[in-house]
Amino acid sequence: MSDQININVNGSEIRTDSDQLIIEACEDSGIHIPRFCWHKRMDPVGMCRMCLVEIETPRGKALVPSCTTKVSEDLIVDTESEVVKKAQEGVLEFLLINHPLDCPVCDKAGECPLQDQTMAYGPGESRFVEDKRHFEKPIPISEIILLDRERCILCARCTRFSDEISGDPLIEFIQRGNKTQVNTFPDEPFRSYFSGNTVQICPVGALTSTSYRFKARPWDLKKVSSTSNCSSMGCSVELNVSQNKMLRILGEDNEFTNQGWLSDKGRYNFEYLHSENRILKPVLNNDSTNEISINESMELISNEISADDNSNISFIVGHNSTNEEYYALNNFVENLNKVNKDQNMNVYLSDDYLYEGFFQNNDLLGKVQDLDSVDTIILWAQDIKDNLPTLYLRIRQAVKNGKKLVIFGHTNTAMKELADSYFGQEIISKNLEFNVEISEIPNFNELINDKNVLAIIGKSSPIQNTNSISNLINYLDKNSNLKILNCFSKGNTFGALQNIDLVKGLNEFINEFDGSKNNIVFTIGSNPVNSSIHSNQIKDKLINANFVISLDLFKNETTELANIILPTTSFGEKEGTFTNLEMRTLKQNKILPTPGSVLNEWEYWSMMLNKIDIENNYESEFELNLQLCEEYLDKDNVPSFDNLNKPSNLDGVLNSKSINIEIQNVEPEKIEILFVNRLYGDSSTQINSPSISMLGAERFIEMNNDTFIKHNLSSYTVNLVQGVSTLQVKIKINNHLPNELIIAPLNRRGFRDIDTTKPYELIEVKNLEELSVN
Amino acid sequence: MSWDNELLERAHKIIELYPQKRSALGPLLYLAQEKDGFISDDSIVEISNLVDITEVQVKSVSSFYSMYKEEQTGTYLLSVCKSISCEINDSRSVINSVKEFTGLENYETDQDKLFTFEEVECIGACGGAPAVQVNYETVEGLTPEKTIEMCEWLKNDKPEIIVADQLQNKFGGTKSFDWAIEDNTGSAYTVPGFQNIGTAKEKDN
Repeated sequence: MSDQININVNGSEIRTDSDQLIIEACEDSGIHIPRFCWHKRMDPVGMCRMCLVEIETPRGKALVPSCTTKVSEDLIVDTESEVVKKAQEGVLEFLLINHPLDCPVCDKAGECPLQDQTMAYGPGESRFVEDKRHFEKPIPISEIILLDRERCILCARCTRFSDEISGDPLIEFIQRGNKTQVNTFPDEPFRSYFSGNTVQICPVGALTSTSYRFKARPWDLKKVSSTSNCSSMGCSVELNVSQNKMLRILGEDNEFTNQGWLSDKGRYNFEYLHSENRILKPVLNNDSTNEISINESMELISNEISADDNSNISFIVGHNSTNEEYYALNNFVENLNKVNKDQNMNVYLSDDYLYEGFFQNNDLLGKVQDLDSVDTIILWAQDIKDNLPTLYLRIRQAVKNGKKLVIFGHTNTAMKELADSYFGQEIISKNLEFNVEISEIPNFNELINDKNVLAIIGKSSPIQNTNSISNLINYLDKNSNLKILNCFSKGNTFGALQNIDLVKGLNEFINEFDGSKNNIVFTIGSNPVNSSIHSNQIKDKLINANFVISLDLFKNETTELANIILPTTSFGEKEGTFTNLEMRTLKQNKILPTPGSVLNEWEYWSMMLNKIDIENNYESEFELNLQLCEEYLDKDNVPSFDNLNKPSNLDGVLNSKSINIEIQNVEPEKIEILFVNRLYGDSSTQINSPSISMLGAERFIEMNNDTFIKHNLSSYTVNLVQGVSTLQVKIKINNHLPNELIIAPLNRRGFRDIDTTKPYELIEVKNLEELSVN
Repeated sequence: MSWDNELLERAHKIIELYPQKRSALGPLLYLAQEKDGFISDDSIVEISNLVDITEVQVKSVSSFYSMYKEEQTGTYLLSVCKSISCEINDSRSVINSVKEFTGLENYETDQDKLFTFEEVECIGACGGAPAVQVNYETVEGLTPEKTIEMCEWLKNDKPEIIVADQLQNKFGGTKSFDWAIEDNTGSAYTVPGFQNIGTAKEKDN
């Protein structure tokens, strides 16, 4: 903690940290200083001059920008003097010289800092009679972002964000003086995973997004805070709705998680909510014309469940349900079990080779915030930038603040530049095992011995054997002061782990499926036929099953095999809680009405229980929430709706439940192709969101240059051939990868037919006709 | 790869001079300009790979400074000073004489790609005003007549290397001060002749 000092602002004493900027100190004391370029999450730059204040100096009073001047003992500041007002008027008149007055057609109007501050601090009139500067009106700088350079006031927020925060500076100031403009390089669009943040922090309407453009006026928007289920980071968001349509998602500043930032997927993956492809009524036998009532469907399902006392009932559950829905599912399974002990019931999470994680010792569980306080960050997990993008930003920030970053393995090559030590192919084999004793890894011990260490640990790829990870954790536990952040990246995985008594993975489903029995399979918000590396086997099992019930939003590869499809509610249409990767439980709020005759998942479970004459003891999310809260370890601060709605808990409540997963390890196999998940893929929600639907279309594999040469390739478009399947892919060279290892995106169309442990061939595409066929 | 091995070798030598790669950006942009007569997008891609920053960051720097040309220049870049000392000493008529001879307006290049004409701010030769630079080699104390004579000489002789001393002896007038020892090195491109990055060329007598 830094020292506290006194300063005097507008005649009143303020106590503040000695290392703060004047603008921060004033903000904390409720004195607003107008600003455009200053943003509390970025370095000050003093670009716009809007925050000029008058301070006493030994040479008399002086105007200084409050965003670049630090406070000092007994500093006297005046934010409202005549001189300050004159300066503010001058700055605004100057900024408006080239700003087009197209507010009536500008998306920002109504929530525009330039508009608001001109009203509050502006001169009212302009002396400028000359022609304004003109640029071509909005130019697309990426698939989802448009740039109107005429509106830009050159505050450098977007360029600083892309340089400082996201680390992919693809937009910059071009030219000089009156011609200065923000732009991209001609053939290098602003293709950043975080580009949407620049739209949110732009203080004028210069940057706009395709999905929100001309859709609504800010004063017509209905707003509610919620929690994104894009990744297990649980980013705080604000949902903006107009006329019962979700139009925009904004990041909210949650000190503990996303600090205001969002990935573009978290921000723009919402248009599917209003897609015409959504299922709105229960459907029988995948025949759209065969819609049935909810009552009929419940009747059919309960008959099926009651028909055979000796049947196997499997539940394959996805990652987008709320804690309450997982709890209701668990409750359903428990109740069925009570009534009929012969029925064999299992819940599977829609993940290939789920693994136990490190939950045994609650004292070892780390927090995201530990990134800012530890000495060393150890990272061995799947690709963080693609799977937990906002955690990637936090790690970047921690490294910038001097924390040491150690990366193992082959999936986080994008972060190699940030790392103090990157242990690639010399240390980690292609099979993701240690080549050397952990104690003999060069320059490793001095980074961890007796240091505070946060290990971000997860499987790099589904088929990784986890012995090496366990060994590393054991070693770290012995030699350092260790905290662990378990890195399951998808949606509300932690909510599922907390609220379902026994969870298994998809490969357990395949192994345990007994074709000789009567099989009933529920798939709940999951599409294992498309998302698994064992897609084909799962498809066979589902075809073999006697009865398949899918609870989903859209028709997909899995629902095609379903006897009954039950439409469910989605993000924004249901209330509940969400648990993030540090066991912080946050609130998800409802702002949209449920479309058609769509119901919440828990309502289906409740109705089914009623049909089988089992009494259930809940009637709302609220009651479910109260019940699940009873199981938390810390009884004094449970994440109940009431507690989460308290102003002090808007950032979520940290509380754990015991998690027990018992799963067999993967047999070590020879990995030929390493499957990873990319941020954009072909999930049904994404392909039904037009703005971002195409971003996951490109099919590419990555390899290093030596491998490329070894395969005797000359062109970067090849056919990946394995047995009977052929897939045309592009090759990206990534020299951080080990020799002979190929990285392929699992969540892109076509890749699931590839077996990652079998040999493959790369055959050049020579024929032009072949090239033109995608 | 738009840069040949020789140019790349020179680039790597320049990069080695600095603790951070990106510090070499300025000189590398001169290499790019030496190669094409302007900073081409291909060269920007090349430089961004060489110094590990993004293309648009290179573009941001190259478009900021006016001595990095965004458009193709002619063989000879005529920069006539229009700042105050030269203005007082009638640089306007020097400017007009160049305009008249070449038929060019400010920042224009002729069709034969021989001359590019620009009016520039102070080039640090106030004592010998009015002053002109040909490919950044300075000549002082010019008159309109001498200027036209110089342009004619450039047009007819097409010298490969421009050397300030030589220009001064042939066409110049009052010098601001004595330029120390006679110097035979000059510029062969529309880039200042710097010994350490190899854009300076020695002229045989």
